[in-house]
Amino acid sequence: MSVRLDGAVIRLEGECRVEDAEPLLSLLQEEAGRVVDLSAAGRLHAAVVQVLLALRPPLSGEPADSFAARWITPLLATARPG
Amino acid sequence: MSELLEQFLIEGRELVQQATEDLLALERDPADAARLDGAFRAVHTLKGSVALFDLGPMERALHAAEDLLDALRAGRLRAGRGVIDPLLDCIGASEAWIEALDAEGRLPGDAAERGRRLEEALRASLGGDAASTAAPSPARDPEWLRGLAVAEAAALAQAGAAGQRVTALRYVPAPDCFFLGDDPMALLRAVPGLIALRLGAREPWPGGSALDPFACNLVIELLSTAAEEEVRQVFRFVADQVETGEVASPGPARPAPAEEPATGGGAGRSLRVEAGRIDALLGLVGELIVAKNGLAHLVAQLEGADPGLARAFGESRAGIEALAEAMHREVLGLRMVPLARSFRRLPRLVREAAAALGRNVALEIRGEAVEADKAIVDGLFDPLLHLLRNAVDHGIEDPAARAAAGKPEAGSIILEAWQAGGGIVVEVRDDGRGIDPARVRRAAKERRVMPEAAIDALDDEAAIQLVFQPGFSTASAVTALSGRGVGMDAVRAGVEGLGGRVSLASRPGAGSAIRMLLPQGATVTTVLLVRLGAEMFGVPIGAVAETARIPAGLILPLRQGEAFVLRDRTLPLIRLPALLDRPATPRGDTARVLVAGAGAGRVGLEVDGFAGQADVLLRPLEGLLAGMPGLLGTAMLGDGRVLLVLDLPGLIG
Repeated sequence: MSVRLDGAVIRLEGECRVEDAEPLLSLLQEEAGRVVDLSAAGRLHAAVVQVLLALRPPLSGEPADSFAARWITPLLATARPG
Repeated sequence: MSELLEQFLIEGRELVQQATEDLLALERDPADAARLDGAFRAVHTLKGSVALFDLGPMERALHAAEDLLDALRAGRLRAGRGVIDPLLDCIGASEAWIEALDAEGRLPGDAAERGRRLEEALRASLGGDAASTAAPSPARDPEWLRGLAVAEAAALAQAGAAGQRVTALRYVPAPDCFFLGDDPMALLRAVPGLIALRLGAREPWPGGSALDPFACNLVIELLSTAAEEEVRQVFRFVADQVETGEVASPGPARPAPAEEPATGGGAGRSLRVEAGRIDALLGLVGELIVAKNGLAHLVAQLEGADPGLARAFGESRAGIEALAEAMHREVLGLRMVPLARSFRRLPRLVREAAAALGRNVALEIRGEAVEADKAIVDGLFDPLLHLLRNAVDHGIEDPAARAAAGKPEAGSIILEAWQAGGGIVVEVRDDGRGIDPARVRRAAKERRVMPEAAIDALDDEAAIQLVFQPGFSTASAVTALSGRGVGMDAVRAGVEGLGGRVSLASRPGAGSAIRMLLPQGATVTTVLLVRLGAEMFGVPIGAVAETARIPAGLILPLRQGEAFVLRDRTLPLIRLPALLDRPATPRGDTARVLVAGAGAGRVGLEVDGFAGQADVLLRPLEGLLAGMPGLLGTAMLGDGRVLLVLDLPGLIG
């Protein structure tokens, strides 16, 4: 399981695949203001990125995956709904 | 003039030049895709810049040119003569319009009509495509590419500074791509040379709980320094979902190596500086050298009072002197530009001249990377254009005559430059009919450029140099003389004005070569200062054989003129003011005379006085003075006065 609710924090752990998008979306929609912690996250599937991009939850932690850290998380922090 | 317009004028000229070169290359090799792309980009960028101003006719004509080039790129048309001609016409008109904008701040009155005709010709070349493209077609660089270029200008500028080309890619994954097992993120990881990434949404993100996590709604745009092919390779399985393009570096930073002085700063790291500011710097350095000379005087004075201090002062002075001279060399170096700056404009004009005269001419240019002072490079353009037009008009035979002479159908004209000694040599040679010395002699006698006996005494090689004599070329000579000769004295004056010399070699039937020897740096010319009334003129010291004072009583009236005897030879005496259409001042007890010319052409020129010599930086004539016979150029004197420098051979002839 790559998506885990830990109190008010949603933790993404290891590689996040396409099937993680739906549970992540549900957890975010369940309760507004939940923080998504990326510090244990590996590669992120586009479907997961899309959920984060669309809902723009507050993020914490740097993903261990260098590509995600360099290119994706900066966009999630600043992305505006298009 | 607004800064924006100024920038446009500079870039516009470069783009016109680029497009011209690419089109001419394309004419030679219609399969050259790189040239086609180059021409397209230049026209496209020019059209884009034109749109910033209210220049309707120009924009519409360029738009039509762009459509035509686009059709070529798509392979719907072939780059034949019928396509290149209207494109070059359009570029030629754009060039003229840019110059008009510079001079008058607006397009000429006939621009609308001319633009319409250009547009029609271009659309006609599009042929069957005309109907579909006559309506303004979408710009080739799509909106996204421009938006991306603006948003990621910093990344682009950085890549531009490093001399890298940038590929842009837009990837809109199919909505069902997740079901198909695609992970667009995985593809992005594989992109080589990624320098910018942007994520957006195809449809606005739905609010609330409406987001469908299984449908991909992403739009991905990226920039990479890898080649377009390499980037596309990554996306080969979703090729239908990506668009790519090459991004030009942002406008003002567009590298234009040919226009910029080589300062050894490395590729792409250059700064555009107005030439006037370099000249101002040069002026300051000149003053610094003069000021430094004052120190030598002080050192000499100090020596008596305090030898120790004087020595220290002297060492310091030597250091300043070395620095000032190094600085002088460096600033002069800033003015060095490649000859390409003038050469590049010539091929289109030669092509035009050849087309107008029905000649088949291949122009080859060599050595355009050779550098020289900006004034020399710019000043060479007119003489070169003159020589090349002459070569097309009088050198190269018509196709039938060439066939009869067993020569290749296309006449060859070679413009070549190389470095020699401290200067440069620029040569124009053709394989045309050459110059017949007998006809030159005959024409020279008819026009009385020299006494007949003197003309007969010349050997063939010397005789053909007569074409440079003032008065040799007249309108009637154009058709009467086989060979060259039209306005050759203008070429000579132009080259001498730059501190150079010109000579001609020819073999009848085999062609002619005109060679110009020019200084490479800004040259200092020594002039003799002569007074006429209250005014001062300069005469290059090289043109003066000697100066003399002739007692008024020894001047002999001779038919309409006067003469005097100098070392047993009778020389005609001409009053210089009369040659310049100025009132003569009455002569005193002695006449001050400078002797010019050689051999039988030697004459005495009477002036009101001599005022010493000066070393000046000779500038070619500009503006109203350009092309004025009898003048070589202007020079600034130390006190800021402008000196007119006379072309003695031109005046006497």
